[in-house]
Amino acid sequence: MSAPITHLLDGETVTAVAGEVWSALVGEEEFLVPGHDGPVVLGPSAWVTVTGPWNGLVVLTCDEAGTADLTRSVLQMRADEEVTAEDVDDVLRELANILGGNVKSLLPGPSALGLPETGVAPLRAADVDTCRVAASWRGHDLAITIQGATEAPVFTTTEVPQ
Amino acid sequence: MKILVTDDSRVMRQIVVRTLRQAGYDDVDIVEAEDGVECLAKVASDAPDLVLSDWNMPNMTGIECLRALRAQGSSVPFGFVTSEGSPEMREQASQAGALFLIAKPFTADTFRDELDTVLA
Repeated sequence: MSAPITHLLDGETVTAVAGEVWSALVGEEEFLVPGHDGPVVLGPSAWVTVTGPWNGLVVLTCDEAGTADLTRSVLQMRADEEVTAEDVDDVLRELANILGGNVKSLLPGPSALGLPETGVAPLRAADVDTCRVAASWRGHDLAITIQGATEAPVFTTTEVPQ
Repeated sequence: MKILVTDDSRVMRQIVVRTLRQAGYDDVDIVEAEDGVECLAKVASDAPDLVLSDWNMPNMTGIECLRALRAQGSSVPFGFVTSEGSPEMREQASQAGALFLIAKPFTADTFRDELDTVLA
């Protein structure tokens, strides 16, 4: 059993990782503005599991209005193109996947990453095993939460732990 | 010139193709596959000049696909584009016969650095 996430990562590191992901996927001129740990962001979430010495989830949550803008940016859609629910789902899933992969690389290994899922954010773990970063993008609220699981999460990958 | 892009994420396949164009590979034909099983089949049917593959996919992972290709005697150039790139994964990829491993997020420059020598 590894130390809780708060002993392994800090918010500053997660913010830096998220910033890199944002500029590469959302756009070179798109920036995440670090926020304060205010009210919990309500909206769709996507997450991946990390299974290894530390077990838990990397969860991305974005407010409802932000998800459509985010999807348009990542997919470089025209203003008159309709954003489908599948588009939103795919984009959130991929962002969570890349965030999870980068977070995993900062954790003690060997660990395996699960396949990304979307839906209502899973329940949060105890605060001692939760690292939450709040941010905003184009005025939309976002949260990246790295939260421990009390038990090893369901293994939804065919990947061999690295 | 033909590149087979394998990723279970439609978004990521789209981003990989876009990045290939941004990196200057405008005239390559693109074929897509959703997992390792489909990749194996398309290497046989489409004879790509290069495979760019995700690692973690349902049904058959990228590394399983690469090993299966080599076991079948295929020497198609193969590179990973994946959301994680630990030293252990890079070593595993190299041992299985991959030419490179590009970790997401990536840029057009990253693609040029790795692909120019392969596609020259």
